[in-house]
Amino acid sequence: MNLFHLAVPLLLLSTPAWSETPQQILAQYQQQAGGASAARGEKFFFAKNTLPNGEVVSCTSCHTDNPKAVGKTRAHKQVEPLAPVANRERFTDPAKVEKWFKRNCKDVLARECTVQEKADFVAYLISVK
Amino acid sequence: MGITLKNLGILLAALISSGFFLGYSWGSGSDASFPPVSHKLTAEECGSCHMAFPAGLLPARSWQHMMNTLDRHFGEDASLSPEETAAITRYLVDNAADSRNANLLMRRIASGIPSGTAPQRFTETRHFGYLHDEVPANIWKRAKIGSRANCVACHTRAESGSFIEREIKIPKD
Repeated sequence: MNLFHLAVPLLLLSTPAWSETPQQILAQYQQQAGGASAARGEKFFFAKNTLPNGEVVSCTSCHTDNPKAVGKTRAHKQVEPLAPVANRERFTDPAKVEKWFKRNCKDVLARECTVQEKADFVAYLISVK
Repeated sequence: MGITLKNLGILLAALISSGFFLGYSWGSGSDASFPPVSHKLTAEECGSCHMAFPAGLLPARSWQHMMNTLDRHFGEDASLSPEETAAITRYLVDNAADSRNANLLMRRIASGIPSGTAPQRFTETRHFGYLHDEVPANIWKRAKIGSRANCVACHTRAESGSFIEREIKIPKD
């Protein structure tokens, strides 16, 4: 066995099939929405919404108002930062991105997000330096 | 019989071994540990918003009810695909407090839960109450604890299923 034989499986391990870049994921949403605005995404991130039960929530309720910071769920579990600059795993798995949009949009807005909102949101977080 | 080196040796050995057994029966694992969540999907899906609680904390009927009402999970919609729901339910039921796989601790938890009830929070069971009755109300309010479901705030190795007393570290704030 030489180094080559070792390197091939290592390479395969380090690049799972689903792996994409945040830019690729943004491009897909952008294409579906016909554009994306980081400024709109920023507004969306901080926007407060009152739920039917009277609770006032926003993305920042769990993610804090700093997308580079570690957040906390309502059950006090740590949430890794949203901004790719602070968390290299963020926006690299399209299925995971969709799953959490579906779930968290319902948590905060009591509805699913539109493609436009998703595009703007991802654009904003990518823009965070 | 005088004090000889041999007698001293026997005494020492007896002391060490009694201490060993005391320490073993007091501190160690068997009566405050659950097998950690060994099912990957359960660990991932249940563990993304809160600690992946050991299946042995609740009886099968509790898990069944919880998995049937994931769309209203403590005020959130945590629903999964039918396949994922079925796989996780199977794991939780197979390893529940009243399952064949239950250890002594889990059987004790199960026996404290009235039949005909299916508690959804372990923190509302008699067993939890009995074990936490000496924790004053003000400690529960500390920011780093925040919720009774936040086991790991004090039970430092809770995520691996261990709740033994000497691993408890109560945060100061």
